[in-house]
Amino acid sequence: MLAKYIARRLLASVVVVLGVTLITLLLMDRTRGAYVPGIDFNPSLRPEDIARLRADLGLDRPFYEWYLSWIWGVLHGDFGHSMIDGSTVMSHIVDRLPNTIELTATAILIGMVVAVPVGVIGALRRGSKTDHALTVVSVAGFAVPQFWMGLMLILIFSVTLEQHGLPWLPSSGAYSPFNGGDVLDRLQHLVLPATVLSFFYVSTWSRFIRSSMLEVLSQDYIRTARAKGMSERRVVYLHGLRNALIPLITLIGLELPGLVSGGLVVEVVFGWPGIGRLAFERALQYDYSTVMGVTFFATLLVIAGNLLADLLYGVLDPRIRYG
Amino acid sequence: MTQPLLEVQDLHTVFSTKEGTVKAVDGVSFELHSGETLGIVGESGCGKSVTAMSIMRLQRPGRIVGGKVMFKGQDLTRISEYEMREIRGREIAMIFQDPMTSLNPVYRVGWQVSEPTRLHNGWDARKALSSAVNMLGRVGIPSASARARDYPHQFSGGMRQRAMIAMGLTTTPQVLIADEPTTALDVTIQAQILDLLRDVNREFGTATILITHNLGVVAGMCQRLIVMYAGKVVEAGPTADVFANPKHPYTWSLLRSIPRLDAERHEPLKPIEGLPPNLVDLPSGCAFHPRCVFRVERCARDVPALIQVGGTQRAACWVTQAGTELKGV
Repeated sequence: MLAKYIARRLLASVVVVLGVTLITLLLMDRTRGAYVPGIDFNPSLRPEDIARLRADLGLDRPFYEWYLSWIWGVLHGDFGHSMIDGSTVMSHIVDRLPNTIELTATAILIGMVVAVPVGVIGALRRGSKTDHALTVVSVAGFAVPQFWMGLMLILIFSVTLEQHGLPWLPSSGAYSPFNGGDVLDRLQHLVLPATVLSFFYVSTWSRFIRSSMLEVLSQDYIRTARAKGMSERRVVYLHGLRNALIPLITLIGLELPGLVSGGLVVEVVFGWPGIGRLAFERALQYDYSTVMGVTFFATLLVIAGNLLADLLYGVLDPRIRYG
Repeated sequence: MTQPLLEVQDLHTVFSTKEGTVKAVDGVSFELHSGETLGIVGESGCGKSVTAMSIMRLQRPGRIVGGKVMFKGQDLTRISEYEMREIRGREIAMIFQDPMTSLNPVYRVGWQVSEPTRLHNGWDARKALSSAVNMLGRVGIPSASARARDYPHQFSGGMRQRAMIAMGLTTTPQVLIADEPTTALDVTIQAQILDLLRDVNREFGTATILITHNLGVVAGMCQRLIVMYAGKVVEAGPTADVFANPKHPYTWSLLRSIPRLDAERHEPLKPIEGLPPNLVDLPSGCAFHPRCVFRVERCARDVPALIQVGGTQRAACWVTQAGTELKGV
């Protein structure tokens, strides 16, 4: 039953992948103008040179031909070569994806670990000073743009601390060029971008858990649990939290695309060599093949995230059956 | 009579609302003796559930502002929260109106039924579960050991209420409070659950407080009953006497508003005119007087106390306390 369900979901996702990649290509194709990817404007280039370069990249063909051949390549596991530097798209993705996963997974983990207690405390002490303070911080989390928060953290933790001769945190990159690469070095680089990214998650999720928890705590089975003589802690965390977390799963599943999009701003601000920054830079340069490759993987992540969320639902909520 | 098992004395529970203070329970007193089944009857909103919740000290957001709940020599309104937890689910168990929502949807029935013994008796999971399975069987769940692995949504309403009862009984409590246990169930299932409660009362000797708005249920189940109106007890006494000869006009009207199969001639059913009073702004005097067909001038002025009227009953009514019989109007 479950296998059949997954198979059907995957089959349906083929349509999604086709749609997303087609729209991406159309957008790039229609906005490119006379630009040749990877070629800076150069007065010595003759029109026939440009025509030849475009033909080499396959850009003289109508976009649907290009698309079909791209699909053909993907079906054979070939994502083509970057139009800018000629290396394979796959090598870029393999190079960048782990960094992004490292950053986002850390942020999601911190987000959950912080958001759950914050949300529960807000629900249990609704209307108290603590609750109001947490609300203010959460709203700030939505309202403050990530790039600004990133720059402020860099200003404080990288610039000011260093100026005062205090221990400071690196502002960019995933490792130090000369003495870097070990775990500690990686963690140092991870702190600031993961903080910025998780702050956003904490803000959203804690609000969500708070309202979800409030609803659950007014349910009859919570009254039953209290009438059984359980401690308030057991009532809240064992009987309440699991029910309150069910709707959160969807939200987290939907954050998986943040592997590419949500992390993009943070990756750019902190020079994090992730897949979001790759897509961003290559999109500006009209590197069709790289952008298409990244889009393809991002779409897969979205689909996988949603599917995973739906399956996790079933684990947390026994009422859900797949069919 | 022997020392009562549970004694509620002049209990007051209030809720603070925007409109004002709601006196949900306003000076309620009653006793519960070992092994008996006591009915608490009244319309919706008369304070019967809040009374039960106050005994368990689960009346939040309401506050107990006066009175005592004496149980085994201690006042439950005074003991610490920790001591109260030791009473809840262990000495006094409670089952609720809506079995569809009273079980936690994400845990297996067996796990939930075995939770009180794990918690209160310190039994390990295996021992607690096998006792829970045994109890599920005794309350009439077929192939209980298999069904214990089910989730609540796989149970029917009647089975869930059986599971709730089993959950209450695993710790062999001395008091079982059943708050409208059959209201949400089909009529045939209602009868089965009531039979079960009667068996439980007989087999385990568990004293039961049965809260209901259904007089028929009380007639079949309870040795004694108390009738509540607007947060107060208006009549109390042995069920047979109260039914035969009600001493409060409210009880009298209630009995006239339900069909009786054993009636000698078919009288038309008489609904009670008007609505239950607003608990924030009670009528002066006896709260029932605006709806009462027997009211006299004094009823709007003074609040009657609950005192002995006739041989076995007590009633809070100026009319019957003055010796007037309640006769059809």
